[in-house]
Amino acid sequence: MATVKLTNVKKVYGKKVVAVSDFNLEIADKEFVVFVGPSGCGKSTTLRMIAGLEEITEGTIEIDGRIVNDLQPKDRDIAMVFQNYALYPHLTVFENMAFSLRLKKVKQEEVYARVTQAAEILGITELLMRKPRELSGGQRQRVAIGRAMVRDSKVFLMDEPLSNLDAKLRDQMRAEIILLRQKIDTTFVYVTHDQTEAMTLGDRIVIMKDGFIQQVGTPAEVFDMPDNLFVAEFIGAPKMNTFEAELLNENGRYYVELCGSKMEVDGEKGRALAAKGLPSQKIILGVRPEHVTLSHASDPQAIACKVEVNEMMGSEIYLHVITGGGEKPVIRVQTISLDEEQRASLGFGKTIYITIESRAMHFFHAESTKNLLV
Amino acid sequence: MPNLTDLEYLRLNRFQKALHKIGRFFAAIPRWFLSLFIAIWNKLKGFGIAIKNQVLDIILTFKNGSWKTRVSFFIMGFGNLARGQILRGLLFFIFQVVFIFYMVVSGGHWLSKFGTLGDVGSGRVYDPILDTYVLEAGDDSFKILLYGLLTIIFIIALVYTWRLNVKQNRIADEIIASGKKLKSGKDDIKSLTDDYFHKTLLALPVAGIVIFTVIPIIFMILVAFTNYDGAHDGYSNLFTWVGLDNFNELLALASNNNNLSYTFGEILSWTLMWAIFATFTNYFLGMFVAIMINKRGIHLKKLWRGILVLTIAIPQFVSLLYVSKLFANNGLVNGLLMDWGWISSPIQFWKDPTLARIMVIVVNIWIGIPYLMLIATGILMNIPKDMYESSRIDGANAFQQYSKITLPYMLFVTGPYLLTSFVNNINNFNVIYLLTWGQAVDNPLLTTSGGNATSVDLLITWLFKITTGATSNYKLAAVIGIMIFVVVAGISLIVYNLIPSSRNEDDYS
Amino acid sequence: MKNTNRAKRHMGMKTKSRISNTIIYIVLALMMVIWLIPFVCILLESFRVETTMQVGYVVPKQWGFDNYINLLTKTDFPTWYLNTFIIGLVVSVVQTIMVLCTSYTLSRMRFKGRRGLMNFLLVLGMFPGFITMIVLYKVLSGVGMTGANSVPGLILVYSASSGMGYYISKGFFDTIPKSLDEAARVDGATRAQVFAKIILPLAKPIVIYTVLTAFMAPWGDFMFAKYISHNTSLGMNVAVGMQGMISTPASLAANYTQFCAGGVLVALPITLLFMFLQRYYVAGVTGGAVKG
Repeated sequence: MATVKLTNVKKVYGKKVVAVSDFNLEIADKEFVVFVGPSGCGKSTTLRMIAGLEEITEGTIEIDGRIVNDLQPKDRDIAMVFQNYALYPHLTVFENMAFSLRLKKVKQEEVYARVTQAAEILGITELLMRKPRELSGGQRQRVAIGRAMVRDSKVFLMDEPLSNLDAKLRDQMRAEIILLRQKIDTTFVYVTHDQTEAMTLGDRIVIMKDGFIQQVGTPAEVFDMPDNLFVAEFIGAPKMNTFEAELLNENGRYYVELCGSKMEVDGEKGRALAAKGLPSQKIILGVRPEHVTLSHASDPQAIACKVEVNEMMGSEIYLHVITGGGEKPVIRVQTISLDEEQRASLGFGKTIYITIESRAMHFFHAESTKNLLV
Repeated sequence: MPNLTDLEYLRLNRFQKALHKIGRFFAAIPRWFLSLFIAIWNKLKGFGIAIKNQVLDIILTFKNGSWKTRVSFFIMGFGNLARGQILRGLLFFIFQVVFIFYMVVSGGHWLSKFGTLGDVGSGRVYDPILDTYVLEAGDDSFKILLYGLLTIIFIIALVYTWRLNVKQNRIADEIIASGKKLKSGKDDIKSLTDDYFHKTLLALPVAGIVIFTVIPIIFMILVAFTNYDGAHDGYSNLFTWVGLDNFNELLALASNNNNLSYTFGEILSWTLMWAIFATFTNYFLGMFVAIMINKRGIHLKKLWRGILVLTIAIPQFVSLLYVSKLFANNGLVNGLLMDWGWISSPIQFWKDPTLARIMVIVVNIWIGIPYLMLIATGILMNIPKDMYESSRIDGANAFQQYSKITLPYMLFVTGPYLLTSFVNNINNFNVIYLLTWGQAVDNPLLTTSGGNATSVDLLITWLFKITTGATSNYKLAAVIGIMIFVVVAGISLIVYNLIPSSRNEDDYS
Repeated sequence: MKNTNRAKRHMGMKTKSRISNTIIYIVLALMMVIWLIPFVCILLESFRVETTMQVGYVVPKQWGFDNYINLLTKTDFPTWYLNTFIIGLVVSVVQTIMVLCTSYTLSRMRFKGRRGLMNFLLVLGMFPGFITMIVLYKVLSGVGMTGANSVPGLILVYSASSGMGYYISKGFFDTIPKSLDEAARVDGATRAQVFAKIILPLAKPIVIYTVLTAFMAPWGDFMFAKYISHNTSLGMNVAVGMQGMISTPASLAANYTQFCAGGVLVALPITLLFMFLQRYYVAGVTGGAVKG
């Protein structure tokens, strides 16, 4: 249980390849922080620097107030779960979990107590005599977590622990990690490329791209108020629709011109724009698929689109449509409210009408792609 | 050759494609050399800059260093001792003391004679007191060469250690300035099991390699520039530097044509021919046998394989010596053939040059197929089955499957192995020597100088004969050793540059 | 029409495969004869009593153990055998340690000069190893490790530089996931502990392969052993000694059948050991070839 503080951390491979730069983050005691981003964004590198498996090129990392830059992994008092589990193939599950304790020359009774206790929590007591190769993927995952739990360390690092599992098991393990977190209650740093995992697990999410932090915030914050277009598109599935649009400031009232339709921005968003006093400009308008509203031809603000693909997901339908201007947004429609006739009207080649409500709109600067309201 | 885009290239027919590739290859040669020169130039420049930086760093260290650092420039390890790093300090200091002691006692002596490899020959010297001639030992060129070399290595080691000592002082100054603590001797020893564990692990192997391979090879290279041989053994008759004479003689650059160069040419060309035949016959036949055994519907796979593998276990010298005698003039084969009345006089299996060459290649196949069968079997089993299934659906027959899937895959994964095995064959002493030793010399041109070479001798067996023979022609052996290196290095360089794409590990994974 | 054609072709395939299989069986059977006959001959001839010379037949007319008894009592063969055995034993231990240290370091650790060292060893390996003998023989004879006392000398020659043969073993270590090392280090192990507790137990196949090949190599070496033993019978290994037994026409006539007996005595234990550990040998050889 400890805080972790990263100050101006930078990692350069060789002489040129910059993996992480300008990384500043303070992780509170017992906080669950998730690093998320596409592959190659530097999230794993950062985690490995915390673990001591990669050298830190610049900056400092503190664990519990102590600078650990020059400490070996073994001296940092951390536990880590690896993507491919990294179980020792020649040792039984029990010995795998006991490995760190044996190195510390912990007494046999205590080793036994701690390993069996962890095994109990994870429900792997009956596997203790097995070798890793006799285990299924999910079981291996549990052993890997158990091995880290036994340590009783200050910080718990997890590097894409669920990415080698199949979809169903992943959902199940995700839920279990949430439960586990309540039981072992320590500081967690969790790396994933999967935004769902990030959203469901993290107290706070750190979104990274090309070695830079894009945004740090709670799941709600990054979803509702993304700092930039990258975060907006990365968080949420299917990803946010974006349109090239025109923001018009007409005497303090704001309008968005999109595909020949002019929509007023009212309510909270309108006030926020007014508060910033933004001038008329080209913008990128972002709308989440679930926030697009189906409308009808009579609505003057409605945009006509043609259905290109209709993906029936069961509880909802993803409509891939094309507007007159050639934009290709995706729309999420709940199936429960649709009758047979309405469903038929969403088929391939049909024309539908959509509107975008003001509160669903996100405004991004056309060039810098920064959120205009931040 | 025009530069084609991918799509333009794909449009060409097979013949045009091949033509294009060949053209590209030759067109690339000038660029290849150019980039080689540029690389060498850059290396030299980098080296120069590195030296400059080192010197600069040394000067700056002296200028800016503390007094402890400055004293360390003259008394190595002083800074470490003064700062409490007893272990490091002592090691540095002892090294310096030993060095000075050695140089005074004997190093200087060896070094002073290194230029001539000795000038005092042994001989009978008139002793006026005893009024008789006594034998007086003179210089020993061999010892001078060896100890001179070791002394030079020692000096280089000292320079390096001195530089290390200076650097450590600078770092220590910096650490103290930043207010941190220096590493203690205990930390140093501890880090040998962790941070510097590689030094612990490599210490013994690298020491072994340096003492038993690197230094002897440097020594041998030096010998190539002397006239060290049986007649100039170093103590009864001094040897000395002769420059490039030995190379000139071997490569027919010298005026006195003693057909050494002819012998060398013959043996070199046969060595290359042998290596090509030995490598590829084994490779393809071994693969062929593996494919036969692996074919679906063939039973007793384990038995076939097991018998062949078993022959690997029998030490080669037993089978080689036995086979050598089997085909000898009074051997079993000739005996049986004569008994059956097929021949009237023994076939000269090992004496007739052409026949002997064919025989060693054939026997080498007999020796080599089991290995290659093993290797090929392992690789064949790793070829993804779906490639064959997909090719069958595409309409490939067995031969097409072999030429389009099996062979490219095998060549791809065994490319480096082929090179290694080629090199091993160039140096394949056992097969040639044990099969054909003691045979009368068949090619008189090869005997006139440089040992009793025969038509089947490789460079390596020739080298062996020269070194062990009556003349003990060490200088020639050294030159041949260097020649073998040149051949092997040249071939490796070409092969590595010709198949850069095959090093791309993702293609088949 | 088409249907019958296809049926015919189908039938053709089956008979074709039967014919090709038959051919393969014949070829394989022939091969086995060719590969085994010399060894059968050597075995049979080793029991021949009537004459020690080479003769134009194989099956002895008179059977007996005379050759073996003579070999073990009247020649230096037991000494050669013991020499080779001791050399093999020591070399297999030392070489394995050297190779494991080198290959583990080069596979697992990243340090300044690693690439340079590997390239240097590669270039070094391009020189014929025998060339080192010019100076090593002199030095070794200076300290009395040649001639009759060449066993320690040969041990040094075989094993001192054996770190250079790290390739196959490194290839094996490369296949062990690096995350195992990292997990162990996070778990609190030093690099030395990672080596001892994680990697070594996993490296059993390659350890056995290295031991086996290192033990077998001295039995087959002729070049170095001949040079170091320098015509002193007591310092020879089996290869040099047995070659000496049949090196002249006269000695060949006198010792041929004894030579066969010696061959059997050398081949038998090695072959048994090999059969026992064949699995590891095959794994090492194929892995090494693929890795290069």
